[in-house]
Amino acid sequence: MNDKIKQESVIRVCGLKKYYKGGVIKALDGVDAEIKRGEVVVVIGPSGSGKSTFLRSLNMLEIPSEGQIFVNGVDIVGKGVNINEHRQKMGMVFQHFNLFPHMTILKNMTVAPITLLKKSREEAEKKAMELLEVVGLADRANSYPSQLSGGQKQRIAIVRALCMEPDVMLFDEPTSALDPEMVGEVLDVMKRLAREGMTMIVVTHEMGFAREVADRVIFMDAGVIIEEGTPAEIFDTPKSERLQGFLAKVL
Amino acid sequence: MQVWFAKFKADFKLNFIDSARWKWLMEGLGNTLKITFFSLLIGLVLGVVVAAVRSTYDKNKEVMAKHKGVGYYVFSVVNAICKLYLTVIRGTPVVVQLLIMYFIIFATSREDVLIATIAFGINSGAYVAEILRGGIMSIDNGQFEAGRSLGFNYVQTMFYIIIPQVFKSVLPTLCNEFIVLLKETSVAGYVGVMDLTKAGDLIRGRTFSAFMPLIAVALIYLVLVVVLTSLVGVLERRLRRSER
Repeated sequence: MNDKIKQESVIRVCGLKKYYKGGVIKALDGVDAEIKRGEVVVVIGPSGSGKSTFLRSLNMLEIPSEGQIFVNGVDIVGKGVNINEHRQKMGMVFQHFNLFPHMTILKNMTVAPITLLKKSREEAEKKAMELLEVVGLADRANSYPSQLSGGQKQRIAIVRALCMEPDVMLFDEPTSALDPEMVGEVLDVMKRLAREGMTMIVVTHEMGFAREVADRVIFMDAGVIIEEGTPAEIFDTPKSERLQGFLAKVL
Repeated sequence: MQVWFAKFKADFKLNFIDSARWKWLMEGLGNTLKITFFSLLIGLVLGVVVAAVRSTYDKNKEVMAKHKGVGYYVFSVVNAICKLYLTVIRGTPVVVQLLIMYFIIFATSREDVLIATIAFGINSGAYVAEILRGGIMSIDNGQFEAGRSLGFNYVQTMFYIIIPQVFKSVLPTLCNEFIVLLKETSVAGYVGVMDLTKAGDLIRGRTFSAFMPLIAVALIYLVLVVVLTSLVGVLERRLRRSER
């Protein structure tokens, strides 16, 4: 399993803090983390623990109050960084899919590669169709998002991000808004992606997925990382009381 | 019955045929349409600019405040000016604005149609701006984040993702604003513009018969508004259909 993980770190986070309302609310209170190329990291924790804020900081959808985030060695929090270029290399999948309702599935997937990567229309559509084939939705290429089920929408959202050929994929509770019977189809796509060696950071409540797919699990609470380790370490021999309490509730 | 009909005919002749008074109505209608059309254009341009400034400021102030460049302060001032414009224009009657335009700001000019057009344009711009801003704000922030997360910059996200959706949702409201504008221009007579209302009133003053000219004016407005409203209805249905 571990030979797919390279020693080279893709993301390194140093002392990340995020305050709201002038410091009254501390969403992140000093987070340090490192993610290596090819690694699948699952972030778990109770709601309000800052795990989504942490994930969203990684592509600056949340502006950190303090700290640094190095992506491929460049501090993206610093001045004079073209954040848009970094985001092109970092795919993101949202809880509520956020497909563009006024575009067909194919257009959803090709608008960014054509506009930003200057791909030709044919090239972008070919790539999109290949990916649609992989997730079994090639026949929906010309549908609109409103015609799809939740599970289908989320699979499209994943391949839309993949169309930009990112280095890293961020998943923000990708199955939380789905009906239970649709969770599996989305997780299958994510598992496949993990097997192919994509660097992934996943915030989720799917403990089964974490145990099966993660190389490393991070447990967060109250804006800090409490414990991290392999799935076996986290789930079988939790050390901190807070993690034990959390697992007792969710498992 | 015949007596009544003869009286009606005589009345009609007196008010519209004699001295070719129908031409006044036509001229007034022409001015009304001219003022409405051009102030609509001014309003649209002003509205787009003000809405762009206001929503860009609201969406980006966190990022800009962090870097505190010169641009941030300039933008804050521009945003404050836009806010003041919206407050003043929406907080005072359009007739008062028109009078101020005519008797204070352009006191030396007698281009009454032009001044009225500018006054109504500036007035309409404030309402258009708020309609557009409301439309932008009503789009789920997730759409915005999805665009940015793919690597689109702010302007590209607006152009490819937000504006097309806003356009669909506000188009009927916007058209209704223009119908309101058409009726609002009827106060242009306050500064001596010979618009449709003023024309009817002038005829009344000449013929001392109020019924015919005023009802005619009302009917012309009504027909225009009904036609425009039904066009908006067609548009609305068509937009809704393309959503599926």
